[in-house]
Amino acid sequence: MAVADPKPSFVGRLFAEHRAALQSFFLRRIRSKADAADLAQEVYVRMLRIRDLEAIRNPVSYLYTVANNLVKEHAVLDRRQASGVDIDEMPAHEQLATLPAFDGDLDAAQRVARLGAVLKQLRPKCRAAVELRFTQGLAYREIAVQLGVSPQMAKKYVAQGLSHCRRRMARLG
Amino acid sequence: MNSNEDGIRAAIAEQAGEWFVANDAGPLDAQDSAALAAWLKTSPVHIEEFLAVSTIARDLKEARTDPEYSLEAILARARAAEDTSVKSLWSRVIDTVWVRPPRRWFPIAATTAGFAVLIGVLLTWNVSRIQHPTAPERIAELHLATRHGEQLTQRLADNSVLHLNTDSAVSIRYSKSERLVMLMSGEADFEVAHEAHRAFRVQTVSAEVIDLGTKFDVRLEQGTTVITVVEGRVAVGPPKLSQNHSAQLINLNADQQIRVAEGQWPAAPVAVDAGRTTAWLHQQIAFDNEPLERVAAEYNRYISTPIEIVTPALRNLRISGVFATEDPEAFIAFLRSLKGVRVAVTATRIRVSGE
Repeated sequence: MAVADPKPSFVGRLFAEHRAALQSFFLRRIRSKADAADLAQEVYVRMLRIRDLEAIRNPVSYLYTVANNLVKEHAVLDRRQASGVDIDEMPAHEQLATLPAFDGDLDAAQRVARLGAVLKQLRPKCRAAVELRFTQGLAYREIAVQLGVSPQMAKKYVAQGLSHCRRRMARLG
Repeated sequence: MNSNEDGIRAAIAEQAGEWFVANDAGPLDAQDSAALAAWLKTSPVHIEEFLAVSTIARDLKEARTDPEYSLEAILARARAAEDTSVKSLWSRVIDTVWVRPPRRWFPIAATTAGFAVLIGVLLTWNVSRIQHPTAPERIAELHLATRHGEQLTQRLADNSVLHLNTDSAVSIRYSKSERLVMLMSGEADFEVAHEAHRAFRVQTVSAEVIDLGTKFDVRLEQGTTVITVVEGRVAVGPPKLSQNHSAQLINLNADQQIRVAEGQWPAAPVAVDAGRTTAWLHQQIAFDNEPLERVAAEYNRYISTPIEIVTPALRNLRISGVFATEDPEAFIAFLRSLKGVRVAVTATRIRVSGE
């Protein structure tokens, strides 16, 4: 951002006129690969500053809260605030909805279409487990019954499916 | 990104997937939360992968596979598929990266960074041509193995179900004429789909079991084979039955057990509670008035930090109860509740001593 601009009023006016475009610029920036790493780096720094990590009751909520705050504040660019995070009481899955994606500069529709294609490449059991969990919303116990495996195996299939998708998407992106 | 870095990334993505699922399956307990926090704190890459896996899970809710591909079709394919999915993921990283599973067998390990439990199932699938003396036949061979603390359930090609306990290895060979399972180490439980024209046989170094349509457990312990029948009936004989036609076979019925040491045939069956022998199928171990020494040895099959009995007099302390193999902490609490028993937990040992 042109912070050193000698005419702040001009910048202010420009910002007011192009607010939407600028915001989408930031969003896109955060979606790009380098900024995903930057974001992770920043979250990491914040996590390290928490003295008693064991005290974190819900690390996932904490992680999503910090990441979302950083995105909201564009704090990927402004690293001054690095402590004092109150864990958002919103359920983790709601917080997740606002997180940026981590697979390059794609819009949501492209990303989802690509993911659909990646999903088809999964091994049958992983694919079925992943679909049952995320598109059908079945519990792991129910997935186990559907696939005729143990609940532990059902979890393993979903975990593998997820990491597989992640890797394929990263390679494509 | 070089291939090594790629491999490490892949391994971290896999751990991230496991952690995501562990959290997704229900709220993590305090121990697991701490372990996850520690895992995230390890490196920004861990955080990046966890966030990335999280967003994939979110996007999957919107991802639609082909509309012409119904869920039923996907399920049918999944049920029919050979269970080789574990292979590609683990085999690539297993030699280079220590993987910490989300579900911890032993919570103390959670706080010790370098003390990761390696879980992993190595599955290799070989299809080899073996020359049969009479007619060449295509024989599929499947190797399954579990590591310390790992269990595996596998549906076989004939719909029989194999449960593999901790530290176990089997080799499965199906041909037109027979279904042969070789138990190389550890313990396996079989629910056999009956086939009139194709026997199901289990071989170990010290015994051979011929299934007669049933559910049974075979455990190999320092050369001694322990066979327990849960349902139905099996015939037990010495090894290499096919070359030893005069060998005496012993029928074993439900709730009967036989112990066969190497070269010690025949052996006598005894009555047991088969439910207790196969408690491991439900991640439990059960003891009925058994010495602490034996109980500790059983528990040590599942946990990463072994129990050590420091005071010799305690070895014969009688223990009864059912314990979860996944919850050694509860077992430690139980030991601590016993009169005159002290338990000290260190990074490498659970030391049980007298007061």
